[in-house]
Amino acid sequence: MKPLVEGRALVLGDNVNTDILHPSRFYSLDDKKVRSGFLGAVDGRESDGQRDLTGAIVLAGENFGIGSSRETGARVFVLAGVQAIVAASFARIFYRNVMNLGLPAVVCPALAGYRPSDDVAVRLDLISRLLTVSGRQFPIEPWDPHWQRVCDAGGLAQWLGLSTSTHKASQDG
Amino acid sequence: MVTLSTMSDAPLTHRILLAHCEETLDGSAYFAVSPDIVLGHEATIALLIDRLRAAGKRVFAPERCFFAADHFVPPATAERAAILKKYLKFVEDEGISTDLFYRGISHQLLIEDSRCLPGSLIAGADSHTTMAGAVGAFAAGFGSTDILGLLATGKVWVRLPEAVRVDCVNTLSEGATGKDVALLMMQHFGEGGAGYRALEFVDHDQGLSMADRCTVTNMAVDCGAKNGLVIPDAVTRAYLIERDGGIPEDMADWSTPGTEYVDTLHIDLSVVVPSVARPGSPADVTPASMVGGEHVDQVFIGSCCGGRLEDLRQAAEILTGRRIKSGIRMVVTPASTAVYRAAVEEGIVSILIEAGAMVTASACGACGGIDKGILSAGDVCVSTSNRNFRGRMGSNDARIWLASARTAAAAAVSGQIIDPREVTS
Repeated sequence: MKPLVEGRALVLGDNVNTDILHPSRFYSLDDKKVRSGFLGAVDGRESDGQRDLTGAIVLAGENFGIGSSRETGARVFVLAGVQAIVAASFARIFYRNVMNLGLPAVVCPALAGYRPSDDVAVRLDLISRLLTVSGRQFPIEPWDPHWQRVCDAGGLAQWLGLSTSTHKASQDG
Repeated sequence: MVTLSTMSDAPLTHRILLAHCEETLDGSAYFAVSPDIVLGHEATIALLIDRLRAAGKRVFAPERCFFAADHFVPPATAERAAILKKYLKFVEDEGISTDLFYRGISHQLLIEDSRCLPGSLIAGADSHTTMAGAVGAFAAGFGSTDILGLLATGKVWVRLPEAVRVDCVNTLSEGATGKDVALLMMQHFGEGGAGYRALEFVDHDQGLSMADRCTVTNMAVDCGAKNGLVIPDAVTRAYLIERDGGIPEDMADWSTPGTEYVDTLHIDLSVVVPSVARPGSPADVTPASMVGGEHVDQVFIGSCCGGRLEDLRQAAEILTGRRIKSGIRMVVTPASTAVYRAAVEEGIVSILIEAGAMVTASACGACGGIDKGILSAGDVCVSTSNRNFRGRMGSNDARIWLASARTAAAAAVSGQIIDPREVTS
């Protein structure tokens, strides 16, 4: 994975659950249908999910991704081209799903209560462990060695030798 | 290998996880465990089939797979029928039993199964796998890629969660149920307050039935917990004896009086009242009597959280000699075919039908917005399920209230959300 990630912010709040991030009616083995459901029930943000979000970095609050284990709810971030998700804290299953799919999930406790505007410039330095948002710097937590090796491999299937492709080339959920 | 008995002062969650440890990593909090049971269903297993095939791997231990078909059965669309067909072929090709197919919701089937025991380590491809903790198992949900790795290698990497003890004392008062206890837990913790933690329930006065315990541990994940389990006691033993005809030899003593927990919650069951969670969050909880007569369009009694025989009984008690208010649709989905059959034999189904309810085949159904009870814009639903997030059961502009079956049935009779004791008094 890349040690330095730069992109535009996609800002979400606290306790944002997988049912609203990706409603179950968009569950499918068809990537296009999965992609079309991104942010499908996030109040006031429904149309934002349809934008071109390639390269976006999600900034979120506490307990991001609470709810269902349906991995389509994590995979849709990959399909949308999101580069990384940074949150004050994550719900357990969602964190595992995102990391397993090779998408960096980064804990940044200082994001609690901080809501910058969408599309502000974000710089995520995984070596210096610093998140920079509109010039403000926040420390990020290091990964446990287990997650570091998974991330370095590009995902759990890659680390286990079950896949040689990166998540972006994968055709299956 | 560490045995359960050598760690008598550790939380039961830790004892179970460490007893299943297969591999560690220097400097890491994570270690690999080998689960006794892997729970799965078509919606989550379908997401890994092609990847397991592409890797040229077979399922490591088919006999440990507890695979049901519960989400898309019977299929409501051609796409779901195709997913089910793909899943069925995979299960058959791997030599995994299909005995559980079309028998009900995986979590309910697990709790009815003699393989689900105190001390078991259960990894499930579904978040509400936590429910199996009701019998004193460690049970937690995982996503499809974790299950892919587990099916290929027999192992999954976990860490020890901080453990919180939940002390329950006294017994439930009239009108209150296990669902009301679960909602109280949600109100206390919020949606994330138990994040990454284990909730270990000690039911000091055996005030909760096994069905109540299932509902509580089912919703442990909804306040963020990794798992929720009830320390096995006399209720557990009685349940296992009735279910299996006996108890395992190592059931000797699971109590943990010397265990130190990072936090404790005290619940006096005698003061729990019929409660509801307002639309949008299962943690936005208030007494049903405080709602002020919210109008209702649909009542749903079902799901792994609220579709057990005891739930159907509660509904039947309310509906005996009463009619569902005109225009309200009441959908009852027994959580398993065993529940369904027992409800038929007890006469519960007749009472529900007489009152005007629709009783559907055992499956997840309306809870996940799958079928048989989808909501339109403006619809208000009282549901015995575990999640009431926006859009969960259909339109983003529907409103879902969570409640016990008793409170839900009272809403069906009165046409509004009220304390069920108002109907029966």
